[in-house]
Amino acid sequence: MDTAIKICDLTKIYRKRHLGRLYTNLGVRNLSIEVYKGEVFGLLGLNGSGKTTTIKLILGLLFPTEGSIYIFDKLMPDKKIMNNIGYFPEIPYFQRFLTGEEILRFYSKLSCIREDIQQRINETVKIVNLKQDINKKVSEFSKGMLQRLGIAQSLLHNPDILVFDEPVSGLDPLGILEMRNLILLLRSKGKTIFFSSHVISEVEKVCDRVGILHKGELIKIISQNDWKQKSLEQIFIDSIKN
Amino acid sequence: MTQLKIEMNQILLISLYTLKENFRNRTYLVSIFFGVITIIISILIDVLGGEQPLRIILDFGLSTIEFFSLLMIVFIGSNMILEEINNKTIYLILVRPISRWYYLVGKYLGLLLSVYLSIILMSILHLILLFLKGWKFDILYFISIFFLGIKIAIIGSLAIFFSLFSTSNISSMIFTFFIWILGHFVMEIKFLMKKLSLVPKFFLTIVYYIIPNFTFLNWRDYIGSANIDFSVLYIFIYSVSYCICFLFLSILLFQHKEF
Repeated sequence: MDTAIKICDLTKIYRKRHLGRLYTNLGVRNLSIEVYKGEVFGLLGLNGSGKTTTIKLILGLLFPTEGSIYIFDKLMPDKKIMNNIGYFPEIPYFQRFLTGEEILRFYSKLSCIREDIQQRINETVKIVNLKQDINKKVSEFSKGMLQRLGIAQSLLHNPDILVFDEPVSGLDPLGILEMRNLILLLRSKGKTIFFSSHVISEVEKVCDRVGILHKGELIKIISQNDWKQKSLEQIFIDSIKN
Repeated sequence: MTQLKIEMNQILLISLYTLKENFRNRTYLVSIFFGVITIIISILIDVLGGEQPLRIILDFGLSTIEFFSLLMIVFIGSNMILEEINNKTIYLILVRPISRWYYLVGKYLGLLLSVYLSIILMSILHLILLFLKGWKFDILYFISIFFLGIKIAIIGSLAIFFSLFSTSNISSMIFTFFIWILGHFVMEIKFLMKKLSLVPKFFLTIVYYIIPNFTFLNWRDYIGSANIDFSVLYIFIYSVSYCICFLFLSILLFQHKEF
């Protein structure tokens, strides 16, 4: 199988100096993961286990202390490759003075979309079901609407890889269902999805494979067949306790 | 579209977005408002000028334009990138196919554009008042506004530079104001250097060469005077070198910044 994301021996140690003393904090240690093209890979872990650190390292928002990341065999950070990645942060923050449409137009232009920008905005707005509210200012958006806008901006440039950080965090049951359907829709279109979560029930429903992260270390990678025999929740708890 | 054109468009896009952001910034709007009010008030105090009431309006107006544009560049320049980091809006920009330094240069140009627009607005109002009072056209007025713009560009690059290595906007504002004040006392520093012993002289010499000399850029002092011994081209190159230098250092810091 072709590899979309390859993480090799990745270590991130946060260093902070205060009054001449150096304080260190482990982000992730010796992380090695391969995510195949077209699969949904979930990173499961408790709060503070290193999920967001891993995602930020993939996106070049953090720099690794050791190790490397390859996306489509290109060593990251690579500006051209970034055009093929869509990122949805845990809590999407936008410029509050702009309208939803202005935000999408701004990101479209930054992503150098070559096709008709308005058409692309209309398509993504339709996918996330935000057509009615797209001309409102972001300051008037509810949390659910912000989530939708966050997803829309990640899909605008039609990337092959989608990196979602806690996509179902804080969503109501309907929102969770819509997010699940969206992930499945994107998978059916051949997109590679890498997402982090601590909601085991959701990970179980949409992922092809799952990596369990604990205290910055990858302790297990399991596939769908594994959690058909034993619940993912049980595997997760057993892995962490051991 | 060529790659260069795409990249230039990205810088322009960031600049325009910064401009739009500043049009909604309270510090920016309040500074313009008080700048305009203060310039208008200068008509009321022209009696203090005795036989030269125009001089009062001229000096007071130009000082007001400089003061409020300085306020804007320091406050907005020190805050704009830190705010985007704290609000996390920077994440969704930097994960696009845009170089970090394009983002920084775009923000800087957007900041300058915002402050320059306010300078133009205040200058137009000031000129209207001057002409109404019978002032005769002097090209030095426009040269002094031009060099104020250059001074603002240096201070803007300094504000961004300080905001990138300090985690607090207050400290970066203090550093920038401090350099602005020192920059107006460079000649005094030079004088002091001659009077001091070796060690303090050494440190003062370093300060003398690092701090931009803003007195070169105070052309409003020469309006109405025939004794100008500065070369415009020399000052321009000197000032632009400072901007490029501070911007380059800011880019170096920003390239290694983690979010």
